[in-house]
Amino acid sequence: MNSIERFMNTVERKPVDRPACWLGMPDIKAQPALMEEFGVTNMHDLKLAIGDDVYTVEVPYKSETASAIYAAFDWYQDGDVDAEERTLTAPGFFAEAEEPEEVDNFDWPDPEKYISLEECEKLFQQAPEDKVILGMMWSAHFQDTCAAFGMETALMNMISNPEIYEAVDAKVMEFYLKANEIFYKAAKGRMHAVLIGNDMGSQRGLMLSPDMVRRFIIPGCKKLVEQAHSYGMKVIYHSCGSIVDVIPDLIEAGVDVVHPIQALAAGMQPQNLKDKFEGKVSFCGGVDTQDLLVNGTAEDVKKKVQELRGIFPTGLIISPSHEAIMPDVPPTNIRALFDAATEGQEG
Amino acid sequence: MAIIEEISEFLQKGRAKNVKTLVQQALDEGQDPKVILNEGLLSGMMVIGEKFKNNEVFVPEVLVAARAMNAGITILEPKLVEIGNEPVGVAVIGTVKGDLHDIGKNLVTMMLKGAGFEVHDIGIDVETEAFIDKAEEVNADLICMSALLTTTMPNMQVVIDALKEKGLRDKYIVMVGGAPVNESFAEQIGADYYTPDAATCAEVAKKAVLERKGQ
Repeated sequence: MNSIERFMNTVERKPVDRPACWLGMPDIKAQPALMEEFGVTNMHDLKLAIGDDVYTVEVPYKSETASAIYAAFDWYQDGDVDAEERTLTAPGFFAEAEEPEEVDNFDWPDPEKYISLEECEKLFQQAPEDKVILGMMWSAHFQDTCAAFGMETALMNMISNPEIYEAVDAKVMEFYLKANEIFYKAAKGRMHAVLIGNDMGSQRGLMLSPDMVRRFIIPGCKKLVEQAHSYGMKVIYHSCGSIVDVIPDLIEAGVDVVHPIQALAAGMQPQNLKDKFEGKVSFCGGVDTQDLLVNGTAEDVKKKVQELRGIFPTGLIISPSHEAIMPDVPPTNIRALFDAATEGQEG
Repeated sequence: MAIIEEISEFLQKGRAKNVKTLVQQALDEGQDPKVILNEGLLSGMMVIGEKFKNNEVFVPEVLVAARAMNAGITILEPKLVEIGNEPVGVAVIGTVKGDLHDIGKNLVTMMLKGAGFEVHDIGIDVETEAFIDKAEEVNADLICMSALLTTTMPNMQVVIDALKEKGLRDKYIVMVGGAPVNESFAEQIGADYYTPDAATCAEVAKKAVLERKGQ
Protein backbone atom coordinates (compact mmCIF):
# COMPACT_ATOMS: atom_id res chain seq x y z
CA MET A 1 0.00 0.00 0.00
CA ASN A 2 1.44 3.43 -0.82
CA SER A 3 0.94 6.54 1.28
CA ILE A 4 -1.91 7.89 -0.81
CA GLU A 5 -3.90 4.64 -0.79
CA ARG A 6 -3.24 4.24 2.91
CA PHE A 7 -4.36 7.80 3.70
CA MET A 8 -7.52 7.52 1.63
CA ASN A 9 -8.40 4.17 3.16
CA THR A 10 -7.75 5.49 6.67
CA VAL A 11 -9.96 8.52 6.03
CA GLU A 12 -12.70 6.39 4.48
CA ARG A 13 -12.38 3.85 7.30
CA LYS A 14 -11.46 0.99 4.96
CA PRO A 15 -8.85 -1.70 5.73
CA VAL A 16 -5.19 -0.59 5.78
CA ASP A 17 -1.84 -2.37 6.09
CA ARG A 18 -1.17 0.12 8.90
CA PRO A 19 -2.88 3.42 9.62
CA ALA A 20 -1.65 6.55 7.86
CA CYS A 21 0.55 8.76 10.00
CA TRP A 22 1.54 12.41 9.97
CA LEU A 23 4.44 14.13 11.72
CA GLY A 24 2.58 17.44 11.90
CA MET A 25 4.51 20.67 11.57
CA PRO A 26 7.28 20.76 14.19
CA ASP A 27 8.05 24.14 15.70
CA ILE A 28 11.14 25.69 14.15
CA LYS A 29 12.98 25.32 17.49
CA ALA A 30 12.20 21.58 17.57
CA GLN A 31 13.48 20.90 14.07
CA PRO A 32 17.29 20.74 14.60
CA ALA A 33 17.09 17.97 17.20
CA LEU A 34 14.63 16.00 15.07
CA MET A 35 16.88 16.27 12.02
CA GLU A 36 19.85 15.15 14.09
CA GLU A 37 17.95 12.15 15.45
CA PHE A 38 17.12 10.96 11.95
CA GLY A 39 20.48 11.91 10.40
CA VAL A 40 19.10 14.37 7.85
CA THR A 41 19.74 18.03 7.18
CA ASN A 42 16.38 19.38 6.09
CA MET A 43 12.69 18.93 6.78
CA HIS A 44 11.98 17.45 3.37
CA ASP A 45 14.41 14.59 4.06
CA LEU A 46 13.11 14.25 7.61
CA LYS A 47 9.58 13.57 6.35
CA LEU A 48 10.91 10.89 4.01
CA ALA A 49 13.18 9.33 6.64
CA ILE A 50 10.48 9.20 9.26
CA GLY A 51 7.94 7.37 7.10
CA ASP A 52 5.47 10.27 7.05
CA ASP A 53 2.56 9.64 4.68
CA VAL A 54 1.76 13.32 4.42
CA TYR A 55 3.56 16.18 2.71
CA THR A 56 2.24 19.61 3.62
CA VAL A 57 2.09 22.65 1.38
CA GLU A 58 1.23 26.21 2.31
CA VAL A 59 -0.19 28.99 0.18
CA PRO A 60 2.71 31.13 -1.11
CA TYR A 61 1.28 34.43 0.11
CA LYS A 62 3.37 37.58 0.24
CA SER A 63 2.07 41.09 0.79
CA GLU A 64 3.55 44.35 2.09
CA THR A 65 2.69 43.30 5.66
CA ALA A 66 2.56 39.51 5.66
CA SER A 67 4.64 36.57 4.56
CA ALA A 68 1.99 33.95 5.34
CA ILE A 69 -1.70 33.81 4.61
CA TYR A 70 -2.63 33.31 8.25
CA ALA A 71 -1.10 36.74 8.90
CA ALA A 72 -2.80 38.43 5.95
CA PHE A 73 -4.83 40.94 7.95
CA ASP A 74 -3.02 43.89 9.48
CA TRP A 75 -5.52 44.38 12.30
CA TYR A 76 -3.07 46.45 14.30
CA GLN A 77 -2.16 48.79 11.45
CA ASP A 78 1.51 48.65 12.34
CA GLY A 79 2.77 46.76 9.32
CA ASP A 80 3.94 43.87 11.49
CA VAL A 81 1.27 41.23 11.73
CA ASP A 82 3.54 38.61 13.28
CA ALA A 83 4.76 40.71 16.22
CA GLU A 84 5.74 38.20 18.86
CA GLU A 85 4.73 40.23 21.87
CA ARG A 86 1.08 40.51 20.86
CA THR A 87 -1.61 38.74 22.85
CA LEU A 88 -4.83 37.14 21.71
CA THR A 89 -6.81 39.91 23.29
CA ALA A 90 -4.86 42.89 21.93
CA PRO A 91 -7.35 45.42 20.51
CA GLY A 92 -7.61 45.14 16.73
CA PHE A 93 -8.80 47.50 14.00
CA PHE A 94 -12.48 46.93 14.87
CA ALA A 95 -12.07 47.22 18.65
CA GLU A 96 -14.41 50.23 18.79
CA ALA A 97 -16.61 49.40 15.80
CA GLU A 98 -20.36 49.31 16.36
CA GLU A 99 -22.01 49.51 12.95
CA PRO A 100 -21.74 46.81 10.26
CA GLU A 101 -21.01 49.52 7.66
CA GLU A 102 -17.71 50.17 9.42
CA VAL A 103 -16.26 47.03 7.80
CA ASP A 104 -15.59 49.13 4.73
CA ASN A 105 -13.14 51.29 6.67
CA PHE A 106 -10.60 48.46 6.63
CA ASP A 107 -8.25 47.94 3.72
CA TRP A 108 -9.18 44.32 2.95
CA PRO A 109 -6.36 42.53 1.13
CA ASP A 110 -7.08 41.05 -2.29
CA PRO A 111 -5.54 37.55 -2.36
CA GLU A 112 -5.17 37.73 -6.13
CA LYS A 113 -2.51 40.39 -5.67
CA TYR A 114 -0.49 38.40 -3.17
CA ILE A 115 -0.56 34.75 -4.26
CA SER A 116 2.01 34.01 -6.91
CA LEU A 117 0.84 31.37 -9.40
CA GLU A 118 4.44 30.76 -10.35
CA GLU A 119 5.30 29.98 -6.72
CA CYS A 120 2.27 27.69 -6.49
CA GLU A 121 3.47 25.77 -9.53
CA LYS A 122 6.97 25.44 -8.07
CA LEU A 123 5.50 24.17 -4.81
CA PHE A 124 3.52 21.39 -6.45
CA GLN A 125 6.40 20.42 -8.70
CA GLN A 126 8.63 19.93 -5.65
CA ALA A 127 6.04 17.83 -3.83
CA PRO A 128 6.75 14.08 -3.87
CA GLU A 129 4.35 12.18 -6.11
CA ASP A 130 3.95 9.25 -3.75
CA LYS A 131 2.88 11.24 -0.67
CA VAL A 132 -0.44 12.72 0.32
CA ILE A 133 -0.32 16.43 -0.48
CA LEU A 134 -2.06 18.27 2.33
CA GLY A 135 -2.81 21.99 1.91
CA MET A 136 -2.48 23.81 5.23
CA MET A 137 -5.24 26.28 4.44
CA TRP A 138 -6.36 27.05 8.01
CA SER A 139 -8.87 29.68 6.79
CA ALA A 140 -9.39 30.41 10.48
CA HIS A 141 -12.19 32.91 10.10
CA PHE A 142 -13.30 32.68 13.73
CA GLN A 143 -9.80 33.31 15.06
CA ASP A 144 -9.21 36.11 12.57
CA THR A 145 -12.49 37.77 13.41
CA CYS A 146 -11.57 37.54 17.08
CA ALA A 147 -8.24 39.21 16.34
CA ALA A 148 -10.01 41.88 14.27
CA PHE A 149 -11.68 43.16 17.43
CA GLY A 150 -9.47 41.73 20.15
CA MET A 151 -10.67 38.36 21.35
CA GLU A 152 -12.65 39.46 24.39
CA THR A 153 -14.41 42.25 22.51
CA ALA A 154 -15.25 39.85 19.69
CA LEU A 155 -16.74 37.29 22.06
CA MET A 156 -18.77 39.97 23.83
CA ASN A 157 -19.98 41.30 20.47
CA MET A 158 -21.33 37.85 19.70
CA ILE A 159 -23.83 38.53 22.47
CA SER A 160 -24.33 42.28 22.47
CA ASN A 161 -23.74 43.23 18.82
CA PRO A 162 -23.74 40.08 16.68
CA GLU A 163 -24.31 42.11 13.49
CA ILE A 164 -20.88 43.75 13.66
CA TYR A 165 -19.22 40.42 14.43
CA GLU A 166 -20.95 38.75 11.49
CA ALA A 167 -20.14 41.62 9.12
CA VAL A 168 -16.41 41.29 9.82
CA ASP A 169 -16.56 37.49 9.69
CA ALA A 170 -18.26 37.67 6.27
CA LYS A 171 -15.39 39.78 4.88
CA VAL A 172 -12.79 37.40 6.33
CA MET A 173 -14.64 34.46 4.80
CA GLU A 174 -14.79 36.22 1.44
CA PHE A 175 -11.01 36.62 1.54
CA TYR A 176 -10.36 32.97 2.35
CA LEU A 177 -12.81 31.57 -0.18
CA LYS A 178 -11.15 33.64 -2.90
CA ALA A 179 -7.61 32.75 -1.77
CA ASN A 180 -8.46 29.06 -1.56
CA GLU A 181 -10.03 29.13 -5.01
CA ILE A 182 -6.79 30.50 -6.46
CA PHE A 183 -4.69 27.86 -4.71
CA TYR A 184 -7.01 24.96 -5.52
CA LYS A 185 -7.04 25.89 -9.20
CA ALA A 186 -3.26 26.19 -9.23
CA ALA A 187 -2.98 22.71 -7.66
CA LYS A 188 -4.62 21.21 -10.76
CA GLY A 189 -5.81 18.18 -8.85
CA ARG A 190 -2.45 17.44 -7.22
CA MET A 191 -3.64 18.17 -3.68
CA HIS A 192 -5.39 15.31 -1.88
CA ALA A 193 -6.62 17.01 1.25
CA VAL A 194 -6.77 20.32 3.06
CA LEU A 195 -6.63 21.27 6.71
CA ILE A 196 -8.89 24.09 7.86
CA GLY A 197 -10.00 25.04 11.33
CA ASN A 198 -10.40 27.29 14.32
CA ASP A 199 -9.49 26.75 17.94
CA MET A 200 -12.78 26.70 19.78
CA GLY A 201 -12.09 24.35 22.68
CA SER A 202 -10.42 24.71 26.05
CA GLN A 203 -9.05 21.94 28.24
CA ARG A 204 -12.39 21.46 29.93
CA GLY A 205 -15.00 22.32 27.32
CA LEU A 206 -15.97 24.59 24.48
CA MET A 207 -15.12 28.29 24.67
CA LEU A 208 -18.49 29.11 23.14
CA SER A 209 -21.79 27.40 23.71
CA PRO A 210 -22.71 24.80 21.10
CA ASP A 211 -25.47 27.16 19.92
CA MET A 212 -22.98 29.96 19.36
CA VAL A 213 -20.61 27.60 17.53
CA ARG A 214 -23.55 26.68 15.28
CA ARG A 215 -24.35 30.31 14.61
CA PHE A 216 -20.88 31.82 14.25
CA ILE A 217 -18.50 29.06 13.14
CA ILE A 218 -20.31 26.18 11.45
CA PRO A 219 -21.74 28.16 8.49
CA GLY A 220 -18.23 29.26 7.48
CA CYS A 221 -16.94 25.73 8.01
CA LYS A 222 -19.65 24.42 5.69
CA LYS A 223 -18.71 26.82 2.88
CA LEU A 224 -15.03 25.94 3.16
CA VAL A 225 -15.79 22.21 3.20
CA GLU A 226 -18.06 22.46 0.16
CA GLN A 227 -15.39 24.40 -1.70
CA ALA A 228 -12.68 21.80 -0.97
CA HIS A 229 -15.02 18.91 -1.78
CA SER A 230 -15.84 20.51 -5.14
CA TYR A 231 -12.15 20.00 -5.97
CA GLY A 232 -12.32 16.37 -4.83
CA MET A 233 -10.26 16.89 -1.69
CA LYS A 234 -10.73 15.47 1.78
CA VAL A 235 -11.19 17.98 4.60
CA ILE A 236 -9.41 17.77 7.94
CA TYR A 237 -10.90 20.17 10.51
CA HIS A 238 -8.64 21.38 13.31
CA SER A 239 -9.62 22.64 16.71
CA CYS A 240 -7.57 22.38 19.87
CA GLY A 241 -9.29 21.51 23.09
CA SER A 242 -12.49 19.77 24.04
CA ILE A 243 -14.89 19.96 21.10
CA VAL A 244 -16.74 16.69 21.52
CA ASP A 245 -20.09 18.49 21.82
CA VAL A 246 -19.87 20.01 18.34
CA ILE A 247 -18.35 17.08 16.43
CA PRO A 248 -21.88 16.18 15.25
CA ASP A 249 -22.11 19.67 13.74
CA LEU A 250 -18.75 19.26 12.01
CA ILE A 251 -19.94 15.94 10.62
CA GLU A 252 -23.11 17.60 9.35
CA ALA A 253 -21.00 20.31 7.71
CA GLY A 254 -19.25 17.56 5.73
CA VAL A 255 -15.91 17.36 7.59
CA ASP A 256 -14.06 14.11 6.79
CA VAL A 257 -11.46 14.10 9.58
CA VAL A 258 -11.36 15.80 13.00
CA HIS A 259 -7.90 16.92 14.18
CA PRO A 260 -5.97 16.78 16.57
CA ILE A 261 -7.82 14.89 19.35
CA GLN A 262 -6.33 16.78 22.29
CA ALA A 263 -6.28 13.56 24.24
CA LEU A 264 -6.24 15.02 27.76
CA ALA A 265 -9.05 17.51 27.13
CA ALA A 266 -12.47 16.69 28.56
CA GLY A 267 -14.33 14.04 26.56
CA MET A 268 -11.61 13.75 23.91
CA GLN A 269 -10.37 10.31 24.95
CA PRO A 270 -9.98 8.23 21.77
CA GLN A 271 -12.21 5.43 23.06
CA ASN A 272 -14.97 7.91 23.87
CA LEU A 273 -14.74 9.40 20.37
CA LYS A 274 -14.83 5.94 18.82
CA ASP A 275 -17.90 4.99 20.86
CA LYS A 276 -19.71 8.18 19.94
CA PHE A 277 -18.79 8.68 16.30
CA GLU A 278 -17.83 5.31 14.85
CA GLY A 279 -18.63 5.15 11.15
CA LYS A 280 -19.48 8.85 10.94
CA VAL A 281 -16.14 10.64 10.83
CA SER A 282 -12.42 9.87 11.00
CA PHE A 283 -9.76 11.39 13.22
CA CYS A 284 -6.18 12.59 13.08
CA GLY A 285 -3.86 12.97 16.09
CA GLY A 286 -4.38 11.42 19.47
CA VAL A 287 -0.78 10.97 20.69
CA ASP A 288 -0.81 13.31 23.66
CA THR A 289 1.57 16.28 23.52
CA GLN A 290 0.63 17.77 26.89
CA ASP A 291 2.25 15.05 28.96
CA LEU A 292 3.08 11.79 27.17
CA LEU A 293 5.32 13.02 24.36
CA VAL A 294 7.01 15.55 26.66
CA ASN A 295 7.50 13.48 29.80
CA GLY A 296 6.93 9.86 28.78
CA THR A 297 9.50 7.28 27.71
CA ALA A 298 9.81 5.87 24.20
CA GLU A 299 8.22 2.70 25.55
CA ASP A 300 5.22 4.68 26.89
CA VAL A 301 4.79 6.32 23.48
CA LYS A 302 4.93 2.97 21.67
CA LYS A 303 2.33 1.52 24.03
CA LYS A 304 0.02 4.48 23.45
CA VAL A 305 0.32 4.17 19.67
CA GLN A 306 -0.40 0.44 19.92
CA GLU A 307 -3.43 1.19 22.08
CA LEU A 308 -4.66 3.77 19.54
CA ARG A 309 -4.22 1.26 16.72
CA GLY A 310 -6.24 -1.21 18.74
CA ILE A 311 -9.09 1.27 19.17
CA PHE A 312 -8.88 2.50 15.59
CA PRO A 313 -7.60 -0.23 13.25
CA THR A 314 -8.53 2.34 10.61
CA GLY A 315 -10.18 5.76 10.75
CA LEU A 316 -7.36 7.43 12.70
CA ILE A 317 -4.33 9.11 11.14
CA ILE A 318 -1.74 8.62 13.88
CA SER A 319 -0.17 11.98 14.75
CA PRO A 320 0.79 14.10 17.75
CA SER A 321 -2.20 15.71 19.45
CA HIS A 322 -0.93 19.12 18.38
CA GLU A 323 0.56 19.72 14.95
CA ALA A 324 3.36 21.93 16.25
CA ILE A 325 5.76 19.61 18.08
CA MET A 326 7.58 21.76 20.63
CA PRO A 327 11.29 21.61 21.46
CA ASP A 328 10.62 19.92 24.80
CA VAL A 329 9.53 16.71 23.04
CA PRO A 330 12.50 14.28 22.97
CA PRO A 331 13.14 13.26 19.33
CA THR A 332 13.43 9.66 20.50
CA ASN A 333 9.72 9.84 21.37
CA ILE A 334 8.90 10.92 17.83
CA ARG A 335 10.95 7.99 16.56
CA ALA A 336 9.00 5.70 18.89
CA LEU A 337 5.71 7.15 17.64
CA PHE A 338 6.60 6.42 14.03
CA ASP A 339 8.16 3.03 14.78
CA ALA A 340 4.94 1.91 16.41
CA ALA A 341 2.70 3.60 13.84
CA THR A 342 4.45 2.14 10.81
CA GLU A 343 4.79 -1.40 12.17
CA GLY A 344 3.24 -3.94 9.83
CA GLN A 345 3.64 -1.80 6.74
CA GLU A 346 3.47 -3.74 3.49
CA GLY A 347 5.67 -2.87 0.55
CA MET B 1 -38.21 42.12 42.59
CA ALA B 2 -35.94 43.80 45.10
CA ILE B 3 -33.44 46.08 43.49
CA ILE B 4 -30.44 44.09 44.78
CA GLU B 5 -31.80 40.94 43.17
CA GLU B 6 -32.43 42.85 39.97
CA ILE B 7 -28.80 43.99 39.91
CA SER B 8 -27.70 40.37 40.21
CA GLU B 9 -30.11 39.24 37.47
CA PHE B 10 -29.04 41.93 35.00
CA LEU B 11 -25.37 41.24 35.75
CA GLN B 12 -25.87 37.57 34.90
CA LYS B 13 -27.37 38.61 31.57
CA GLY B 14 -24.41 40.91 30.92
CA ARG B 15 -26.55 44.04 30.78
CA ALA B 16 -24.01 46.65 31.86
CA LYS B 17 -26.20 49.71 31.30
CA ASN B 18 -29.02 48.31 33.42
CA VAL B 19 -26.59 47.34 36.16
CA LYS B 20 -25.12 50.85 36.22
CA THR B 21 -28.53 52.48 36.42
CA LEU B 22 -29.73 50.14 39.14
CA VAL B 23 -26.60 50.50 41.26
CA GLN B 24 -27.01 54.29 41.11
CA GLN B 25 -30.70 53.92 41.95
CA ALA B 26 -29.91 51.64 44.89
CA LEU B 27 -27.39 54.16 46.22
CA ASP B 28 -29.91 56.98 45.79
CA GLU B 29 -32.41 54.93 47.75
CA GLY B 30 -29.88 54.72 50.56
CA GLN B 31 -28.97 51.04 50.24
CA ASP B 32 -25.77 49.97 51.99
CA PRO B 33 -22.93 49.98 49.37
CA LYS B 34 -21.57 46.76 50.89
CA VAL B 35 -24.92 45.04 50.36
CA ILE B 36 -25.09 46.29 46.78
CA LEU B 37 -21.57 44.94 46.21
CA ASN B 38 -21.85 41.60 47.97
CA GLU B 39 -25.46 40.63 47.42
CA GLY B 40 -25.97 42.30 44.05
CA LEU B 41 -22.78 42.38 42.03
CA LEU B 42 -20.57 39.68 43.54
CA SER B 43 -23.36 37.20 44.14
CA GLY B 44 -24.42 37.60 40.48
CA MET B 45 -20.87 36.94 39.40
CA MET B 46 -20.73 33.87 41.66
CA VAL B 47 -23.78 32.43 39.91
CA ILE B 48 -22.05 32.97 36.56
CA GLY B 49 -18.88 31.34 37.92
CA GLU B 50 -20.80 28.28 39.06
CA LYS B 51 -22.55 27.97 35.70
CA PHE B 52 -19.23 28.38 33.89
CA LYS B 53 -17.74 25.61 35.97
CA ASN B 54 -20.62 23.36 34.97
CA ASN B 55 -20.44 24.28 31.26
CA GLU B 56 -23.86 25.91 31.45
CA VAL B 57 -22.43 29.23 30.29
CA PHE B 58 -19.25 29.84 28.30
CA VAL B 59 -16.55 32.47 27.88
CA PRO B 60 -18.68 35.13 26.11
CA GLU B 61 -21.31 35.04 28.85
CA VAL B 62 -18.62 35.35 31.53
CA LEU B 63 -17.08 38.31 29.70
CA VAL B 64 -20.32 40.29 29.41
CA ALA B 65 -21.17 39.53 33.04
CA ALA B 66 -17.74 40.74 34.15
CA ARG B 67 -18.18 43.88 32.05
CA ALA B 68 -21.50 44.50 33.79
CA MET B 69 -19.91 43.88 37.19
CA ASN B 70 -17.14 46.37 36.44
CA ALA B 71 -19.72 48.94 35.30
CA GLY B 72 -21.52 48.58 38.62
CA ILE B 73 -18.32 48.72 40.65
CA THR B 74 -17.28 51.94 38.92
CA ILE B 75 -20.45 53.61 40.25
CA LEU B 76 -20.02 52.04 43.66
CA GLU B 77 -16.30 52.56 44.15
CA PRO B 78 -16.27 56.10 45.62
CA LYS B 79 -18.80 55.00 48.25
CA LEU B 80 -16.82 51.86 49.05
CA VAL B 81 -13.68 53.92 49.54
CA GLU B 82 -15.60 56.34 51.72
CA ILE B 83 -16.76 53.60 54.08
CA GLY B 84 -13.36 51.86 54.00
CA ASN B 85 -14.53 48.59 52.49
CA GLU B 86 -11.71 46.04 52.50
CA PRO B 87 -11.24 43.50 49.72
CA VAL B 88 -11.24 39.77 50.57
CA GLY B 89 -7.57 39.74 49.68
CA VAL B 90 -5.02 41.06 47.25
CA ALA B 91 -3.89 38.99 44.26
CA VAL B 92 -1.12 39.39 41.73
CA ILE B 93 -1.68 37.49 38.50
CA GLY B 94 0.23 36.99 35.26
CA THR B 95 1.19 34.59 32.48
CA VAL B 96 4.71 33.29 33.01
CA LYS B 97 7.82 34.23 31.07
CA GLY B 98 7.79 33.10 27.45
CA ASP B 99 4.03 32.66 27.27
CA LEU B 100 1.68 35.11 25.56
CA HIS B 101 -1.61 33.37 26.22
CA ASP B 102 -3.95 35.43 28.31
CA ILE B 103 -7.55 34.29 27.93
CA GLY B 104 -7.40 31.89 30.88
CA LYS B 105 -5.52 34.39 32.98
CA ASN B 106 -8.06 37.11 32.18
CA LEU B 107 -10.94 34.82 33.13
CA VAL B 108 -9.28 34.10 36.47
CA THR B 109 -8.83 37.84 37.00
CA MET B 110 -12.55 38.40 36.41
CA MET B 111 -13.55 35.58 38.74
CA LEU B 112 -11.20 36.77 41.48
CA LYS B 113 -12.67 40.27 41.23
CA GLY B 114 -16.07 38.64 41.33
CA ALA B 115 -15.06 36.94 44.58
CA GLY B 116 -14.13 40.29 46.10
CA PHE B 117 -10.38 40.36 45.52
CA GLU B 118 -8.29 43.36 44.62
CA VAL B 119 -6.46 42.02 41.56
CA HIS B 120 -3.24 43.29 40.03
CA ASP B 121 -2.95 41.81 36.55
CA ILE B 122 0.67 42.15 35.44
CA GLY B 123 0.04 40.76 31.98
CA ILE B 124 1.80 38.21 29.82
CA ASP B 125 5.41 37.04 29.41
CA VAL B 126 6.06 38.15 32.99
CA GLU B 127 9.60 38.06 34.36
CA THR B 128 10.19 36.19 37.62
CA GLU B 129 11.18 39.35 39.46
CA ALA B 130 8.08 41.19 38.27
CA PHE B 131 5.79 38.70 40.05
CA ILE B 132 7.72 39.11 43.27
CA ASP B 133 8.21 42.86 43.06
CA LYS B 134 4.51 43.45 42.44
CA ALA B 135 3.47 41.11 45.23
CA GLU B 136 5.75 42.93 47.64
CA GLU B 137 4.64 46.35 46.41
CA VAL B 138 0.92 45.73 46.86
CA ASN B 139 1.29 43.53 49.92
CA ALA B 140 -0.42 40.65 48.15
CA ASP B 141 -1.88 37.54 49.74
CA LEU B 142 -1.85 35.54 46.55
CA ILE B 143 0.36 35.01 43.51
CA CYS B 144 -1.41 33.37 40.54
CA MET B 145 0.54 32.08 37.55
CA SER B 146 -0.80 30.87 34.23
CA ALA B 147 0.80 28.95 31.34
CA LEU B 148 -0.58 27.34 28.21
CA LEU B 149 2.61 25.79 26.88
CA THR B 150 4.52 22.78 28.19
CA THR B 151 7.67 24.73 27.34
CA THR B 152 6.79 27.64 29.66
CA MET B 153 5.30 25.70 32.59
CA PRO B 154 8.75 25.24 34.18
CA ASN B 155 8.92 29.02 34.66
CA MET B 156 6.31 28.64 37.40
CA GLN B 157 8.89 26.72 39.37
CA VAL B 158 11.46 29.43 38.70
CA VAL B 159 9.20 31.97 40.43
CA ILE B 160 8.60 29.66 43.39
CA ASP B 161 12.33 28.98 43.73
CA ALA B 162 13.04 32.71 43.62
CA LEU B 163 10.48 33.27 46.37
CA LYS B 164 12.25 30.61 48.45
CA GLU B 165 15.65 32.16 47.85
CA LYS B 166 14.38 35.50 49.07
CA GLY B 167 12.78 33.90 52.11
CA LEU B 168 9.35 34.99 50.90
CA ARG B 169 7.79 31.67 49.95
CA ASP B 170 5.59 31.36 53.03
CA LYS B 171 4.40 34.93 52.78
CA TYR B 172 2.27 34.17 49.74
CA ILE B 173 -0.29 31.63 48.67
CA VAL B 174 0.85 30.45 45.23
CA MET B 175 -1.73 29.16 42.72
CA VAL B 176 -1.07 27.78 39.25
CA GLY B 177 -3.26 26.93 36.29
CA GLY B 178 -3.45 26.58 32.53
CA ALA B 179 -4.25 23.84 30.04
CA PRO B 180 -1.24 21.52 30.55
CA VAL B 181 -0.93 22.17 34.31
CA ASN B 182 -2.28 19.59 36.74
CA GLU B 183 -2.34 18.69 40.40
CA SER B 184 0.81 16.59 40.36
CA PHE B 185 2.78 19.29 38.54
CA ALA B 186 1.63 21.84 41.12
CA GLU B 187 2.80 19.54 43.91
CA GLN B 188 6.08 18.83 42.18
CA ILE B 189 6.98 22.53 41.85
CA GLY B 190 5.79 23.38 45.35
CA ALA B 191 2.75 25.49 44.52
CA ASP B 192 -0.04 25.66 47.10
CA TYR B 193 -2.96 25.06 44.77
CA TYR B 194 -3.85 24.01 41.25
CA THR B 195 -7.40 24.54 40.06
CA PRO B 196 -8.81 23.35 36.74
CA ASP B 197 -10.93 26.40 35.95
CA ALA B 198 -11.29 30.09 36.75
CA ALA B 199 -14.36 29.81 38.96
CA THR B 200 -12.82 27.10 41.13
CA CYS B 201 -9.66 29.21 41.37
CA ALA B 202 -11.65 32.09 42.85
CA GLU B 203 -13.44 29.80 45.32
CA VAL B 204 -10.24 28.13 46.48
CA ALA B 205 -8.40 31.46 46.65
CA LYS B 206 -11.09 33.00 48.83
CA LYS B 207 -11.16 30.03 51.19
CA ALA B 208 -7.37 29.91 51.43
CA VAL B 209 -6.98 33.62 52.10
CA LEU B 210 -9.76 33.72 54.68
CA GLU B 211 -8.30 30.67 56.43
CA ARG B 212 -4.90 32.28 56.53
CA LYS B 213 -6.40 35.44 57.96
CA GLY B 214 -8.14 33.31 60.55
CA GLN B 215 -11.64 34.25 59.38
